[in-house]
Amino acid sequence: MMGETGTTIPAAPAPTVRPAVRRDPLALIVRFQSVIGLLLVLVGGIVFSPVRRGHLLFLAPDNIANIVRAISETGIIALGMTFVIITAGIDLSVGAALGLASVLAASLMVNLGWGILPTLVAVVLAGTAFGAAQGYISTRFRLEAFIVTLAGLQVARGLALVVSGNAYINISYGDGPGFAPPAFSVLGTRLFGNTVPVAALVFVALAVVATLVLNTTRFGRYVFAVGGNERAARLSGIPVGRVRISVYALTGFMAAVAGIVHAGQFNFGSANDGAGYELTAIAAVVIGGTSLFGGAGTMIGTIAGSVMLGALANILQLNNINAALQLLATGAIIVLAAVLQAVVGRREGTR
Amino acid sequence: MTAKTKRFARRAALLAAPLAFAAGPAFAGQIAQKCGKDGHYVVAFSQANYAEPYRQHVNNDLIALAKEIPQFELQIADGAGNDNTQTSQVDNFITQQVDLLLISPFEAAPLTPAVARAVKAGIPVIELDRKTVGTPGKDYTAFVGGDNYKIAYEAGTYTAKTLLPDGGEVAVLEGLPSSTPAVERLNGFKDGVKTNAKIKVVAEQAADWLPDKAETAFSAILQAHPDIGVVYASNDMMAAGSYLAAKGAGKETQVKVIGTDGLPGPAGGIQAVASGQWAATFTYPTGAPEALDLAKKILLECAASVPDTVTVSTLAITKDNAKDLDKKLKF
Repeated sequence: MMGETGTTIPAAPAPTVRPAVRRDPLALIVRFQSVIGLLLVLVGGIVFSPVRRGHLLFLAPDNIANIVRAISETGIIALGMTFVIITAGIDLSVGAALGLASVLAASLMVNLGWGILPTLVAVVLAGTAFGAAQGYISTRFRLEAFIVTLAGLQVARGLALVVSGNAYINISYGDGPGFAPPAFSVLGTRLFGNTVPVAALVFVALAVVATLVLNTTRFGRYVFAVGGNERAARLSGIPVGRVRISVYALTGFMAAVAGIVHAGQFNFGSANDGAGYELTAIAAVVIGGTSLFGGAGTMIGTIAGSVMLGALANILQLNNINAALQLLATGAIIVLAAVLQAVVGRREGTR
Repeated sequence: MTAKTKRFARRAALLAAPLAFAAGPAFAGQIAQKCGKDGHYVVAFSQANYAEPYRQHVNNDLIALAKEIPQFELQIADGAGNDNTQTSQVDNFITQQVDLLLISPFEAAPLTPAVARAVKAGIPVIELDRKTVGTPGKDYTAFVGGDNYKIAYEAGTYTAKTLLPDGGEVAVLEGLPSSTPAVERLNGFKDGVKTNAKIKVVAEQAADWLPDKAETAFSAILQAHPDIGVVYASNDMMAAGSYLAAKGAGKETQVKVIGTDGLPGPAGGIQAVASGQWAATFTYPTGAPEALDLAKKILLECAASVPDTVTVSTLAITKDNAKDLDKKLKF
């Protein structure tokens, strides 16, 4: 289904038929489906928002801050996941990699007494290397990314248990052994008069960078080319292997950053953290209109998909509607997004 | 309070408001920002995880009891066993400016900042069953919960005095190793049985709170120690597993099973004791009545202070009271 590393059957139609996209109105809708979906959820949020003292709770600045904070970790992961999925790959290890990164960050500071900067550098490097290794194994041995990253998930959880010694690590702040540098707790605070969560800021900043990288750099074009038609990409001189390894390094990097944000927000490192985050991130990417067959997708769609899932959960809770409905709605949205994509894909294929 | 003094009090409060604001949210000598007998109050409960029988039991208890208080509207959110989800739910409750927050944190340290934000927003916080980091009465309003050590200690002394007064062999099934309740219940029981020197704890196995693991573990224990007289399981589900193992070995009359939690319903310990399968189970109380009593004091009676720790005691469920309790719970 996905992640055909190495060889692509030459007869297969290239999924990136860009000119068709411009002509088909349905394709245009699909391209921006998550933005449209997000707008619908926002309108729904406004209509159904509880009112307090004449103000809509849903639009209250602290509520919007809460929504973005709640999705910051899965959102950061989804940014990296977008690159991977555009290359027709998948990365199932990111949730476990988040757990590993949170344990590593906590352990380096609390148990080994490292400062902030060395800790951040080490954790980010470790995450990036972990992702790159998976990309290398998948590319070198022509293995499905699904299998390699499924193994990576187990390995990351196992490593996290080893690092943490089968326990969780509480992060307390102060000087001396057993304490983390107080500055690290910034990640759990809110700036500008206690309104803007730092975790949300990290997500927003990375979202801007990821959008620019995908849309304006040569690397971004390579990612689309590799996912669209690997053979053509190879023939036109694109270093396909290196691009593939890079996108997995990127998801590893993003998972490490999300893990650092997690440790800072919750003063905690645990091997169990981040369980299932990979699925939330994949859901956001799919809702965002990125094709699992590769070659097509947008970063703005992923961002809108993430925010949409967060806004949906928020408005349902503000109205005291239970979690079951939230899961049902999310499932329905994923199916709808996939159906729209399939319909458009088939139309393009017949032209 | 007459109308006149009430008006005076309100004016005084208005004058004092800027001062009080600087001092923190708990002003005018009362815990709640808004209180009184005639109000309508949203009491929010942030539950760690619905997907555990014990936590379902707590929810049901709270829902049933809150219905009897017309001024209260209870809202429950499922933290789904995820710190980030539970944090965002607490944040949403703060946005909604709920009148009181009840919380059973999934994990202590991760939920501490969210609780601190609620307290800072002037919302009284009662922690149920599990605590966040800090001191009750200072970092949050109060803690209501059972004492795992004491409950298991009582199960130990019950074994020592009533089940095996002449001594014998005992096995213990532990919960998830290194989790706080598992450790406390294990130590409590072992200290309890020490009151009878003729009792020997011959086996101690972890079964992670799960019935299937308990059945496997206890089957193996029975192979190695065929004369075991009592098995203490640290929760009801593991007790159910041990009973199956004893039955499988044809020793269900020889081995007396003790559970913990005392859950109602078909899978719970109360019916198992009533039907004679187990010897006893020791309830781990939900704390729901006590927590709602505190909520009433804070919101309806405008209390200036409440006890910061309420330890709820256990009830031993044995053949003497199980049948009556079972009937009562079925209504």
